[in-house]
Amino acid sequence: MASANPSNSATDQVLVEDKQFVRTLTLNRPKQLNALSHDMVYRLLELFLAYEEDPGVKLIILKGKGRAFCAGGDVAAVVREISGGNWRAGANYFWKEFSLNFVMATYGKPQVSILHGIVMGGGAGASIHGRYRVVTENTVFAMPETALGLFPDVGASYFLSRLPGFFGEYVGLTGTRLDGAEMLACGLATHFVHSAKLLLLEEELHKANLNDSDDILQIIDKYSEHPVVKDNSAYRRLHIIDKCFSCRTVEEILSSLENEAAKNKDDWISAALQLLKKASPTSLKISLRSIREGRLQGVGQCLAREYRMICHVLRGEVSRDFFEGCRAILLDKDRNPKWKPSSLDLVTDDMVGRYFTRVNDGNWEDLKFPARSNLPPIAVAKL
Amino acid sequence: MASSDRVTFRTQILNRHLRPSHSHTFSPPVSVSSSPCLSYIPPDLTEPASSFDTKEMRALLDAHNIQDRDWLFNLMIQSNLFNPKLRGHRVFVCPDYNQSMEQQREINMRRIEYLLDRGVFKGWLTDSSEESELRKVAFNERGVVHLDGACVGFSLNLLVSPCDGLKIRSSYPHSSKRQVLLDFRGGAIQFFGTKRHHDKWLKVTEDLGIKGCFSMTELGHGSNVRGIETVTTYDPHTGEFVINTPCESAQKYWIGGAAKHATHTIVFSQLKIEGKDQGVHAFIVPIRDSDGNVYPNIRIADCGHKIGLNGVDNGRIWFDNVHIPRENLLNSVADVSPDGQYLSAIKDPDQRFAAFLAPLTSGRVMIAVTAIYISKIGLAIAIRYALSRRAFSLTPNEPEVLLLDYPSHQRRLFPLLAKTYAMTFAGNHLKSVYVKRTPETNKIIHVLSSGLKATLTWHNMRTLQECREACGGQGLKTENRVGNLKAEFDVQSTFEGDNNVLMQQVSKALLGEYLAARKQSRAFKGLWLEHMNEPSPVILPQLTSSSLRSSQFQTDIFFLRERDLLNRFVAEVAAHQKQGRSKEHAFVLGHLLAEDLGRAFADKAILLTFIEAEANVSTGPLKNAAAAREEVMKLCSELRPHALALVSSFGIPGAFLSPIAFDWIEANSWPSSQQVP
Repeated sequence: MASANPSNSATDQVLVEDKQFVRTLTLNRPKQLNALSHDMVYRLLELFLAYEEDPGVKLIILKGKGRAFCAGGDVAAVVREISGGNWRAGANYFWKEFSLNFVMATYGKPQVSILHGIVMGGGAGASIHGRYRVVTENTVFAMPETALGLFPDVGASYFLSRLPGFFGEYVGLTGTRLDGAEMLACGLATHFVHSAKLLLLEEELHKANLNDSDDILQIIDKYSEHPVVKDNSAYRRLHIIDKCFSCRTVEEILSSLENEAAKNKDDWISAALQLLKKASPTSLKISLRSIREGRLQGVGQCLAREYRMICHVLRGEVSRDFFEGCRAILLDKDRNPKWKPSSLDLVTDDMVGRYFTRVNDGNWEDLKFPARSNLPPIAVAKL
Repeated sequence: MASSDRVTFRTQILNRHLRPSHSHTFSPPVSVSSSPCLSYIPPDLTEPASSFDTKEMRALLDAHNIQDRDWLFNLMIQSNLFNPKLRGHRVFVCPDYNQSMEQQREINMRRIEYLLDRGVFKGWLTDSSEESELRKVAFNERGVVHLDGACVGFSLNLLVSPCDGLKIRSSYPHSSKRQVLLDFRGGAIQFFGTKRHHDKWLKVTEDLGIKGCFSMTELGHGSNVRGIETVTTYDPHTGEFVINTPCESAQKYWIGGAAKHATHTIVFSQLKIEGKDQGVHAFIVPIRDSDGNVYPNIRIADCGHKIGLNGVDNGRIWFDNVHIPRENLLNSVADVSPDGQYLSAIKDPDQRFAAFLAPLTSGRVMIAVTAIYISKIGLAIAIRYALSRRAFSLTPNEPEVLLLDYPSHQRRLFPLLAKTYAMTFAGNHLKSVYVKRTPETNKIIHVLSSGLKATLTWHNMRTLQECREACGGQGLKTENRVGNLKAEFDVQSTFEGDNNVLMQQVSKALLGEYLAARKQSRAFKGLWLEHMNEPSPVILPQLTSSSLRSSQFQTDIFFLRERDLLNRFVAEVAAHQKQGRSKEHAFVLGHLLAEDLGRAFADKAILLTFIEAEANVSTGPLKNAAAAREEVMKLCSELRPHALALVSSFGIPGAFLSPIAFDWIEANSWPSSQQVP
């Protein structure tokens, strides 16, 4: 960490509250739906590393101010920075963000993330890797990157690929939204707590002894409920999802979905098809391969691979869909991106393969992680 | 920790070992009791960053269809059919050793159906392009990976290529040609049949509409296919063939898939037309209806429990006057007309038999490349374990030493690791000549696949045994996989041709080339024997480290060894013949040299293909990575920092390794032991 005295903006953007053994960190950019700025990522990483060494800290609670937990990385800012041609500035941002994801995934102390409201992209990366993920009746989760010309990053190729069957491919490729009950059912969340009880939960955590990590579990369990997954949820059609999203290629996934759509009129299938057809073809292909590789790798390897991929995305040598996606969705907001290549058959295996290679540029380096020590077995298992 | 404390600690541990019942009488010093336990430190965090890109190295090793392979891993990991087990917070695709033979067979069939349903076998039989063949090989290698007792890989073979369990050998006593072959049932139709069979059977086999098996081996005849005793005659009145098992030794044996599932079989049988024996031919015979009822005049029995591969339902078959249509003769080299005339373009029965069996080298190719893949699993497990397990301190104040930091442990595992790398490239070479095969390359494929099949499967057993021992007591646990793999793959040295017999095949081919070259006063050609045209290489009396490491020197000594053995073998055979013995007899007597010569040939082939693979690796990181070859020949201590990266490059997902490759302390903790067994 370069700076011991973070700028005011960083301090404001992440509020810190000390209560006995608990540190509560609140993402505080409500107008931007707590999108993670460079400063916030920097600050969170610094705090997490410091708390890990601090025997006075036994639990970290991470939450968001306002109606979102966190809507993602501050992609708009990244695009602004690199549109001047400086892709490395963007790469630096992701280096830090992925380092934070890695630290959270291998953290020695429990992290409770309160996912009240929107959790997307970078927001998922800042929470799903942690031990406990508490969702509510207001949670909306998505990994919407393929619609943005990006791919599910922040270690999503690790956690999506660990969902049951091929649900991860479905969530990652379509960018579909999940509610709290679905997140709990598929394992993205560990607990469902009604939002009315959140304050009580936090208070009890503040007061607890926390000598044993089971204490935390027992407290959260006390406030948890087991909501029913709604009838029309795609999660109830896991066998169809497995059948379609286990296909070898994106093209085969699409055609098997179309087969299913012809057989039964199910809203989720047509919605999924629509989302896939709207997404960047390049994004879909690199995302599928990333998830498939991710399933066979540890979290560190996943993040390192994603870092390679993101650098290629930022350099825009194979496709500039990320810039086009940001233009259409975030800047001009015409919601009508013109992808290039424009269709799946134009995205060759070679083009996809290039995203997974080292970046051939001067002193570019593969992602290296902060040193870790004394990892608990559960974190070790993720490596 | 003060040194005295450390000494006390060690003493205490030693005492516990020696007198476990008295351990409670020692009260540990405070500094020790605060942290008396070992903790698992993942080598992935502590080992030096790899000096090459493991991904690129994997691409070199796997060579083709990498995403397809990963896809297959994905399909297996995400399905409950493959026996996922949670150990130490990680999921392993575990051998199902607690299942009975019946259960293993049943689950195996369901696995195949699942993979079929996912499209894994699309095009396996109907698409014979090079690309499709490579994909098939890739899936076979991978499928085999975790194939437990219920060995899916073998079932893949079964299905796509049901071969009879202890596959097929044919011998050619008169012409000194001997073929060892296998094949798959669908493959058999492809190879032995003609268009009428392809149209009728291939697609439906690929879709599992019919389940086939391959009936070649008999109780009395394995390697010697020409000696089989099953007899088929033709009845011109009904236009049917009639198949019979004339005696107990003619019962079909080890027929994979026959005991339970197969609906059809390819029967290899002597064909007698008007009392004249026309030699071995192959016929398609239905043996069960789709509900699994065995047809009349066919008797089937189980081969019973085996030391491995119990997921494969090997069976025995007897035929009692079984009638089949004339069209069911697989007529690639010979046919019988409706009125009972025997027709073949190849008049000489020896040549006919050779032509008939020539294409069936695919089994040996599959076995060779599978064997080397299994070695990788064993090594990845043993080396990862040795990077986290410690034993004994060198000095009282020091932590205990990692197993892999002991030169002795390095010496045990690294040469095997190096050979596994080299043999991987040899296997890749074999695959590439196989998929590009032409009638002209049949001979080299026969020789090369024989030599490599024997060498790679022997190497695999040797490697697994060393890995088992290197894992100590943990190696004994079936869930740690190494021992299980030993049992599952032991038979590889037998099927597809006994390894020793195969090595004699190689020597015979070398002898043949030697005699032909001498007789025609021409230069040696093919089988990498061109070095015989050069003067014998001279090995300097004083070997230096750098000359030892030069590929020139290495090639020279391998050439020299082969030249020496070949010359001696030729001389020995000639000497026996001079004493009035037949060539065949002379050959049998020369077996010692023959087998050594076979090994020398295979080792040379491995070295040369490896050197070639290295030469083809051109740029950048692979200069590092070609590393591999350099490392291979270097001293073990130089290899040590790369050990983790080298086994990571195998690209075997953690789920297909075993608990001792990861956090074995957590996997053996009390809470873990309370989970499902």
